[in-house]
Amino acid sequence: MATIKPILYFLVYPGLMFLFVYSTFVEWVDRKLYARMQNRIGPLHTGRSGILQPVADILKLLGKEDIVPEKADKFMFSALPVIALTAVCTAALYLPVWHYDVARITYNSFPGDLIVLAFLLTLPTIIYFLAGWHSTNFFSTIGGVRVLTMLFGYEVPLYLAILSPAVLADSWRLAEIQKFYSQHPLLILPNLIGFAVAVVALQAKLERVPFDIPHAETELVGGTLTEYSGKKLAFFRLMADIEMVVGSGFLAAVFLGGFTGGLWIGFVKFIILTLFIVFILATIRTVCSRIRIDQMVVFSWRYLAPLAVLQLLIAIILKGSMKV
Amino acid sequence: MKVAAFLPELYRHLFKKPATVKYPFEKLEVPKGFRGTPVFDPSKCIGCMICVKDCPAEAIEIIRISETEKKFKMILHNDRCIHCAQCEESCPTKTYIMNTEFELAVFDRHNLKIEYK
Amino acid sequence: MEFTVPIGPQHPALKEPISLRMTLEGEVIKGVDIKLGYNHRGMEKLAEDRSYIQNLYLTERICGICSFSHTTCFAQGVETLMEIEPARRGLFIRTLVCELERVHSHLLWLGVAGHEAGFDTFFMYTWRDREIVMDLLEMISGNRVHYAMNTFGGVRRDIDELQRKKIADSLDTLTKRTEYYLKIGSSEPTFVARLAGVGPLPKQMALDLCAVGPTLRASGVPSDIRRDDPYGIYAEIPFEVCTSDLCDVLGRVVVRINEVLQSYKIIDWLVKNLPDGPVKVKAPRKVKPNEAVSRYEAPRGENIHYIKSNGSDKPERLKVRAPTLANYPATVEMLKGQFIADIPLVFAAIDPCICCAERMVELRDQGSEQTRIVSFADLRRLAAQYYSVDRLQHKEVEWPL
Repeated sequence: MATIKPILYFLVYPGLMFLFVYSTFVEWVDRKLYARMQNRIGPLHTGRSGILQPVADILKLLGKEDIVPEKADKFMFSALPVIALTAVCTAALYLPVWHYDVARITYNSFPGDLIVLAFLLTLPTIIYFLAGWHSTNFFSTIGGVRVLTMLFGYEVPLYLAILSPAVLADSWRLAEIQKFYSQHPLLILPNLIGFAVAVVALQAKLERVPFDIPHAETELVGGTLTEYSGKKLAFFRLMADIEMVVGSGFLAAVFLGGFTGGLWIGFVKFIILTLFIVFILATIRTVCSRIRIDQMVVFSWRYLAPLAVLQLLIAIILKGSMKV
Repeated sequence: MKVAAFLPELYRHLFKKPATVKYPFEKLEVPKGFRGTPVFDPSKCIGCMICVKDCPAEAIEIIRISETEKKFKMILHNDRCIHCAQCEESCPTKTYIMNTEFELAVFDRHNLKIEYK
Repeated sequence: MEFTVPIGPQHPALKEPISLRMTLEGEVIKGVDIKLGYNHRGMEKLAEDRSYIQNLYLTERICGICSFSHTTCFAQGVETLMEIEPARRGLFIRTLVCELERVHSHLLWLGVAGHEAGFDTFFMYTWRDREIVMDLLEMISGNRVHYAMNTFGGVRRDIDELQRKKIADSLDTLTKRTEYYLKIGSSEPTFVARLAGVGPLPKQMALDLCAVGPTLRASGVPSDIRRDDPYGIYAEIPFEVCTSDLCDVLGRVVVRINEVLQSYKIIDWLVKNLPDGPVKVKAPRKVKPNEAVSRYEAPRGENIHYIKSNGSDKPERLKVRAPTLANYPATVEMLKGQFIADIPLVFAAIDPCICCAERMVELRDQGSEQTRIVSFADLRRLAAQYYSVDRLQHKEVEWPL
């Protein structure tokens, strides 16, 4: 039994199979919400009410021709999608859904795994830049440069925002943070400013409107992913979907009280909380238009970062008053 | 300048019926006077050839089928027809009527030739 | 470090092929080189082989969005040559369809501007309401695009009481929705941040570069052919010329939405004051030798047709000057000093209808950048040679371009 559990953990839930299935479901929810808010139908014919449409898209991409530009470095160009997918799948393993014990330190739950998860979620951004660089195409290079500029904008507010609940809960371990908040649910409320900042920063990390500047379709053709086609593009798309699941799970674990309660209750909580965050992300995507890169950096340093610092201050003051 | 000024409108749309028509499973009614394919009535034609001269796309051929009487047949090249209804307007004896056919997709354009005898 | 980037001929920002070679320094544009000719179809040559009646339908197909403006301009010019006065009721119906076309073209442009800025929700909403206008046009003329309503001496179809009532009812819905778009377009912060201050065109420069249409009116110049040189019955219709002093893309958005609201008022006036009578008068087939120039305010600006007749039933020469061609020099000036991210919006703000403006093709030698004029027979020979022989020798292209 002791050897089966890790295998189930890696391969089934929250490992590869669950991520593949759930991320396509989340993409379907996002596309349907986006379409309904715009008075359209969205995916309809593949599967019942279009639920298999993201799967169909990825399967179609897997069957298309795979072109590598002549001047590009073949090894790096082909390896980058695989590394990106690996990074986000590994990040999913640190979400405290089951197979952890708050009392012991295991390989998937240890003090500091908050930072490890955040770091693994930063890797795809660096890989986007490298993908743009290795495409040797003007549009991809500009897209790659914009990816890094955006990183300077949203990364600092995101880190500051996720640190405040950790400060309040007195731990750097995701399992302990979510246990603390599920025991004191009222303490979720002081963290709401941080939650708002983190959701906006997550939208920027996932590169969706209003922050889809690196792969702005009407300006840069495809941005960093211009030259990718076929299987490599399928991997990148799958990675974007899984990143959305992991990002929402991460925010739910830190801000909204997490997935305590064992395997099945934790599973239900995971689905509900991630769908709630996906609903907010889809609303933001529908309401806004794309902003320019200089406006984005100004926006994050003028509004997001000060709000995140304010949140940190509130957390520190509350913690001090609680101890006394 | 309000942030997300039209958010209530967006949420209201979640509960409204979509504006999309599920063509080809649901079809819309075309209005009266819709310009579809011209229909030729051989009994009214007097062979003046004004429609042949006026057609912008050279899609009409009028051929005499009888030596003794004034009887004509018309071949319509529907792949060239631009559905402008100029033939209906120019004809002095009201031989043409426009029907409501507009779903005219075929694999070979020569299959769109219609002969009215 | 300066380098040249080709935007186009194939690019998601452009609806039609045009080549804009941008010289960039970092993310700022230093200069633009526009190359036209990708959409040339030989309309002017084709017009010389067809009779006047057939040419009505040919000029209609110069463009899809502003098709009625080309037909009306041509019909007006030929009516001057034929020396006939069109029927009054026919003129009213012609103006009605003109204004409906202006409404649908501006709503389409609003959607496209939203899409270029990444604001897809706005795009879906404006195009949904444009469907009301398309259904009205289908009811009046029998087709959604390419209305084929014009003929020499008036229009071909009449509108009855039921249709008049339907037009009046649809106007209420449309007016409410358009005022809502004015509210969103000017108050959604991310959208305004993309539009304000982008693509500035000062008033004097707009006048010097001969810009036309909403591009000119957004720089504060109240120039409108319907007011300055009235054709048809525009001298009798009460309406206002919409201008804006903002001189940037936001000004052009505001001018176009205000023009749509003015068009609703004009359509309302026309439907209420429709006179009785025939819708067309008889027109001769052969036209005496003469020449005529006809001007028209298309949704994009001033449209000019020059027609020369030679006594037969085919025109001797037709020359079309579409409004987008007049806006290209202004575009070059507008793009200087902007960021790459603004290229789609600035270019879309002049409402480019590139197929209207394509009247000749320029052949440029790739190595020496010299141009030359060739005849049609030579062009065919060159093409056959290029595609069979020269293709086999694979030529390397250096990066960056």
